[in-house]
Amino acid sequence: MSKFVSYLERRWDHLLELTLEHAQVVTIALLIATVISVTLGVLTYRRERAANILLAVVGTFLTIPSFALLALLIAPFGLGYKPTVIALVMYALLPIVRNTITGLRGVDPAVIESARGMGMNGRQRLLRIELPLAWPVILTGIRVAAVLLIGIAAIAAAVNGPGLGSDIFDGLARVGSPAAINLVLGGTLGVVALALIFDGLFLGLGKLTTSRGIRD
Amino acid sequence: MIRLESITKVFPGQEKPAVDHLSMDIPEGEIIILVGPSGCGKSTTMRLINRLIEPTEGRIVLQGEDVTGVNSDELRRRMGYVIQQIGLFPHQTIADNIATVPRMLGWDKKRTAERVDELLATVGMDPGIYRERYPKELSGGQRQRVGVARAMAADPPILLMDEPFGAIDPITRDRLQNEFLRLQADIKKTIVFVTHDIDEAIKMGDRIAILQEGSRIAQYDTPARILTNPANEFVEQFIGHGASLKGLTLAHVSEVELADWPVAQGELDRRALRDLLVRSDKSAVLVLDEGRRPVKWLTLRDLDSRGSLDEVGLSADRSVVEPNATLHDALDLMITSYTGTVIVTEGDGSYKGVIELDAIRHRVDEIRRAAVERMRKEPGAAPADELVR
Repeated sequence: MSKFVSYLERRWDHLLELTLEHAQVVTIALLIATVISVTLGVLTYRRERAANILLAVVGTFLTIPSFALLALLIAPFGLGYKPTVIALVMYALLPIVRNTITGLRGVDPAVIESARGMGMNGRQRLLRIELPLAWPVILTGIRVAAVLLIGIAAIAAAVNGPGLGSDIFDGLARVGSPAAINLVLGGTLGVVALALIFDGLFLGLGKLTTSRGIRD
Repeated sequence: MIRLESITKVFPGQEKPAVDHLSMDIPEGEIIILVGPSGCGKSTTMRLINRLIEPTEGRIVLQGEDVTGVNSDELRRRMGYVIQQIGLFPHQTIADNIATVPRMLGWDKKRTAERVDELLATVGMDPGIYRERYPKELSGGQRQRVGVARAMAADPPILLMDEPFGAIDPITRDRLQNEFLRLQADIKKTIVFVTHDIDEAIKMGDRIAILQEGSRIAQYDTPARILTNPANEFVEQFIGHGASLKGLTLAHVSEVELADWPVAQGELDRRALRDLLVRSDKSAVLVLDEGRRPVKWLTLRDLDSRGSLDEVGLSADRSVVEPNATLHDALDLMITSYTGTVIVTEGDGSYKGVIELDAIRHRVDEIRRAAVERMRKEPGAAPADELVR
């Protein structure tokens, strides 16, 4: 244990760098996934069939083992950042799409009726009423996706992706050597810490971006 | 004025039209009630007026302009809309809720803010307290008031109200109805008001359209004439029992003759009061305080009792009405009052006179005779024929 502490003391700048890389790639993937998912959710939430098909498709993405998906992406996209981001976006779709649809469908029909009755057109209703009211639910989906991606992003080292996974994979390659445990443990610790930080940030973001009128 | 010309709505997949060739004129500045059993199409009819539901056939003419084909969102901004569930936007403050339509119409900030405060004051809510609150922080009655304020925000000439007081407890509902009638006396909007409650219809309506299945008009007339001359059996049944009792909500205390009952004020002298009471043919003498406000009744038995006059007598405060109360209210109090009468006071609470049962009966007779007279003058004509085509 004391060996690991002294490892952390020696290599903390390296770990911090990997953690930041990790956070960065997850953030980029989340942003892209949010834009895609909310758009898809908005387009389908009023169409039962389309929504079901969409959920089935993005649900399938989530069942593909991450190793396999990353390997499949090498051929068209090569190694490194690109296949990592694409894989992460694919995994983030389901929670965000599902929560967007659930959130939009959960808006009180009387609220929409009164908005229509006052002469709001479809776009005004969506932007001023439906999305703000569905936002807490959508944000929960993004938060779930974030934690999911932080774990999966560690695997991306398999395709030379950025982040804490590279230390973990290095350690696994040197099983038996004294450095192996430290590398794996350091990477894992970073992943867990990052997940906790993201979770906390999303809670704060939720408070900041949700109207006082619909907060509990 | 709103004119519906042979308006028809057939919902997809249904054979029977929900609204079947309905034609009616809605005169300016009046409250028109659409009332009927559930499923008669009254809500659909109202939603056809602002085209929340698009008609299958027919025309909607608004102040001479055919609006059947205009942009429906813009049409709706010209009409206020209030529904039973109110539908306030929970994520917006009360001020933002009320400002919805003015903002869409592009009013500047100052004008919008002034209008919001003005409306809050109009519906009896202090703008300083409520402007920045959220809907969840208000009671049901307050939300309803905000709903009405929001509908009137851009001062539309027309208000559409779908059972606006339906989800509110009876006491608050009564108060909101009275407030709304007072407000309407000032603003004189053209109001289309949907309800399933005939009593509410009689109370609120300048005119009532009683609708049958398919939104066919069974009778379209003033409340008084519907009560005295129901057009057919359906209307009679819909009004239900006690039509004449309901009619009493249309007449006011100020219309009946007040009786003179003996009154006493200041120092009470037992013998003088006794003389006063015996000389009148009444059963009690009414004691007034220094502001001439009714205090209590003293009967002959009270005057003959041995105790102090301060301690005997029957309290008067549960049988007092103001001149703008309805005869229905008066009769209601009369039945439970000690003397079988109600006391009428001025606005400041001072004594004006007493109503006896005979006075109400006399007034009912007059109303009935007037109705019969009207029927004789328009032989063969259905009531208010000019409105139903």
